[in-house]
Order: sequence, then C-alpha cells, then structure tokens
Amino acid sequence: MGRLPGARLGDSLASEVASPTLPADRARTSAVGDRALRRLPGDSSSPLAGDVRPSLRDRLLRRAKVKSRSDRAVLVLHDVSKRFPNGKVALRDVDLTIPEGDFVFLVGPSGAGKSTLIKLLIRDEMATRGEVVLDGHDLARLPRRQVPRIRRKIGIVFQDFKLLPKKSVWENVAFALEVTGTPGRRVRPAVDRVLSLVGLTAQARQLPSQLSGGEQQRTAIARALVHDPRLIIADEPTGNLDPLISWEIIQLLLRINELGVTVLMATHNADVVTALRKRVVALEEGRVIRDELGGSYHRTD
Amino acid sequence: MIRFVVFSLKRAWEGLWRNALMSLAATATMTLMLLLLAGFWIINTGLLAGLDYTQSKVNVVAYLTDTTTANQLRDLTARVEAMPEVETVEHISRDEALERFRERREGQGEEDLTRFLDSNPLHASLEISLIDATRYSTVRNRLAGEPVVEGVINQTDLVGSVLTVTGVLQTAGVIVLVVIGLIVLFIIVNTIRLAVVARAEEIEIMRLVGASDGFIRWPFVFEGALVGLLGAAFALGILAAAADPLGRFMFDFFRVLPLELGSLARDVTTLVLLTGVGLGVLGSWVSVRTYLIR
Repeated sequence: MGRLPGARLGDSLASEVASPTLPADRARTSAVGDRALRRLPGDSSSPLAGDVRPSLRDRLLRRAKVKSRSDRAVLVLHDVSKRFPNGKVALRDVDLTIPEGDFVFLVGPSGAGKSTLIKLLIRDEMATRGEVVLDGHDLARLPRRQVPRIRRKIGIVFQDFKLLPKKSVWENVAFALEVTGTPGRRVRPAVDRVLSLVGLTAQARQLPSQLSGGEQQRTAIARALVHDPRLIIADEPTGNLDPLISWEIIQLLLRINELGVTVLMATHNADVVTALRKRVVALEEGRVIRDELGGSYHRTD
Repeated sequence: MIRFVVFSLKRAWEGLWRNALMSLAATATMTLMLLLLAGFWIINTGLLAGLDYTQSKVNVVAYLTDTTTANQLRDLTARVEAMPEVETVEHISRDEALERFRERREGQGEEDLTRFLDSNPLHASLEISLIDATRYSTVRNRLAGEPVVEGVINQTDLVGSVLTVTGVLQTAGVIVLVVIGLIVLFIIVNTIRLAVVARAEEIEIMRLVGASDGFIRWPFVFEGALVGLLGAAFALGILAAAADPLGRFMFDFFRVLPLELGSLARDVTTLVLLTGVGLGVLGSWVSVRTYLIR
C-alpha cells in the first residue's frame, strides 16, 4: 500500500508538533508547575515520624486527610509497599500525591520499582500494604468487575507502542472504544478528534509497519487519549526513539497536559527531565528518595 | 445486548481471517480429530452390533418327549414365556424339524438320505431366545427339570466362552473410545490455546484500555465455536463422500448386522457437530481464562 494523497498535510501537522518551541513552552509549563505547587498539600512529609504507634485519633485524622486529599488529587499512594510472592520487595512505604493537571517525571535506575508502581496504578498488581487511590477509588477495595471501568480513566503508553500490527492507525485507536462497548456513532468523531490532536489524520489508513517510530508512538498516545482519561501514564515512551523524535513526543505530552490531562512519565531520558524542570519523583530500591518541583534528572545538591 | 453479540461475532469473524494460518491449523486439527473420533464411533457401533448379534444367536433348545400332549405343550410354553429371562419361545414340531434338516442337507449339497427312513427320528423342540445371554444356565436348568423335556443341549461352556469374548470386546471398545475422546479433547484444546496465545498481546491491549471480561472472552469463544463448526462441516463432508464407496464395500457386513444406517448417520452427525463446537468453545474459554484471572 502506498502513501495516501493527503500524507503531506499530516507531515506538516507532525512537523508542527515537532517544532522546537522549547523556550516559550518551558516558561508556560513552569507556570503550570507553580500552580501545581500551590495546590500540593503542605504536609507531604509523613505525620508518622519515628517508631511511635499511631493513636486511634491520629489514624482517623490521617484517614480524613487522605480522603480530603483524594478528593482533589488524581492519584494518591499512601504507605504503599509491594512484596512479590518470591519475597522480593519492589516498593517500600511509598507516599505520592499527584494533583489534577500535574506533569510528573518518575525516574530511577532499572529495578528501582518504576514498573511495579505503574502496575499498581493500573491494578495489574495489588499493593501488599497501603492504599492506592485513583480518582477517589481505593483500588484494593474495588470489586474485580469495576476494574475495567477504572482503567478507562487511565491512558497508558509504552516504550514498545503495543499497537496491533494488522489494524490501521484508525482501527487501532477505534479498537480501544469498540472493546469497551462504545456505540458506533460515537466512535468515529472521537477517533477523528484524537488523531487530529496528535497530527495523524493523514496516516489514519496506514498500518503501523508503514509508520515511523514517532508516528507509531503518536498512534499509541491517541489511543490512550480516546477515552478522555484523567491520567496518562507513559512508561519510557521515548525509549525506542531517537532524540529529535523523542522531543516531538514530549512536546505532544506537554500539549496534552496543557489541555488538563494529568501526565505521569517514567523515563531514563536525563536530558528531557533536566531541561523541562517539572516535578521529579525519584525511586531507588523501592523507596521515594526525592520528590521535588522543578527538579533535574540527577540529584542537585 | 444485541450490539454486544454482533460485536463479538464480528470480532470472531475478523479474528478468524486476520490470523488465517492459526485458524487453518486449528480447523485442520479439528477436522482430523473429529474424523478419528467419528471413525472409532462407527467401528465401535459396528462392533457392539456384531456382539449383540452373536449373543442373540445363543438359544436354549429343549427337546420334547414324543408323548407330549398339546395341553402339556401349551402349558409349558406359557410358563417358559412367563420367565423374565426369556424373549421368545418357538415350537418346532417333528415335521418341521425334519423339513429343516432336509433343507440344511440340500443347502450343503448332500444327498437326502431321510427318504429311506420309515418314520421321523427327530424330536419336537422348543427354541427359546434369551433377553440376556448370561442367563443361559438359569433357563437351561429350569427346562431340564420339566417332565416333558427329554433333554436340553448343553452349550454352557460354549456360551461361557462367547460371553467372555464379547464382554472383553465391549469393554475394550468403550475404553478405546474414551481414550480417543480424551486425546481429541486435549489436542483440540491445545491447538485452540496456541491460537489464543498467539494473540496474547491483543488481549493485553484490550485489558489495558479497559475492556470488560465479557468483551475479551466472547469473541474468542465465538471464534472457537466457528473453528469447531468449520471442522465439523469438513469432517462430515469427508464422511459423506466416503460413505457410499465404503457402504458398498461393507454391504455384507451391514446386511448381516441389525444396524440401522439412518440412526448411525444421525448419531455420527450429532456427535461430530456437538464435539466440534463444544471443544472449540471449551478450548477458547479455558485459554482466555488464564489471561483474565489477575
């Protein structure tokens, strides 16, 4: 199958997305970050310092706090630990609150627990201890039947795109709606909208194998967006892409974030993290060792 | 609900063609396995019919004394017919016995020597067919005690041997059929499992975008049913094509046996269709299940 006649238009859209508007963007997004800072609860340090057993009153207070926080936050992790059946502890006492509209980088060496954390968020795994509250729902108490409904509030993007090779771009995106029982008349406008958002309108009828890596990842992002999610989780979205295309993808995620969607991005890309000065959560050996606004990839003391 | 079924059927059809090679492999396996099963079913049915036929040939023959009166005969016949083990009682008079003897000699191409006899040397007899050949001794012993019965042919050893052989063959037939059935079950379920595993990523994506279990499961179940239906159709087609030459070849075999071809064909069709669709559904259900339980 050759390229479609309209491919030129798509290319120009794509180059618009990729255009290096970095300085202006940085100014704009840091303002967003400041707003996020003001909304961030003041007591991010644990009220349970030391080894003192919490009194009932403290526990009730804490629960009330968690609840009030969860009303505003898209995602709250409280004292979360994960131990696998083989005894390996992947996460220890993780506390993390992500307010609506935030853009958060999740960094850390391989094996630090990033993937496990993401698995907890989509309830692929359950926390051994602690609470994972997504959009007000405690995932541990969520009946199994409700899990698919919660997953529709999350759009997830992977390093390896996870596109279906025998479906076109349009079909790949529509697939996410079809398998969740969306009526046919609502599928077409929704898919067309997100494809134009990621600049792939012209490539809609091509197969993933006919696309570049960046275009494939944009297809995956379009699929993640099509349910109007509260949270986009991107797990190493630029891991398979060259630097220029990586920036194109980051720009797209920033734009989506500006539209009000919360973004959590796990990455090893130090250049991107350091350049953007967003909130950075660093994991090491299953613990949060750093959680700072305007942070860089490496610790800046 | 209707939309859900339409969606599932559409996806099943799509899945069948988008993974044509796997579907082909699964359908071919299904066809061959169903042929194997149907073949053994037919052979087993023939074997059982043959054994039934053999057993039905086990008769108790009681020779009557020549002085037996018509009343005694009627009385004895009524009492024998009343026995629960007995199916039919047939009285062979002395003349009939002679007639049969002559016919048999003639059939063997031997000269009829009975015309040199002054009188009929043969006894009248009762030929008693049994409902159940294993009850031979009971019936024989009862008759031997009757005063008008001159003697009963003692076939106990012969009947015993026949019963042993038929019993072993019947049991063996059922065991072989069960074993074949299990082999067919495992091979088909495994083939379908391969077809599902080949699409693990698709299932993974469906889970990630928030598809509910039903939306993931039913397209695969319908696809399994479709593979089963196709396999059954091919198997039945091959059987139908083979039935005519095979039937002519085995005409004598079938003519001897009390085998109803119509009911056998109906049974085989039902067996093949139900097994095909059932195993297709079962295989898909079990295979998808492993991906849903998390």
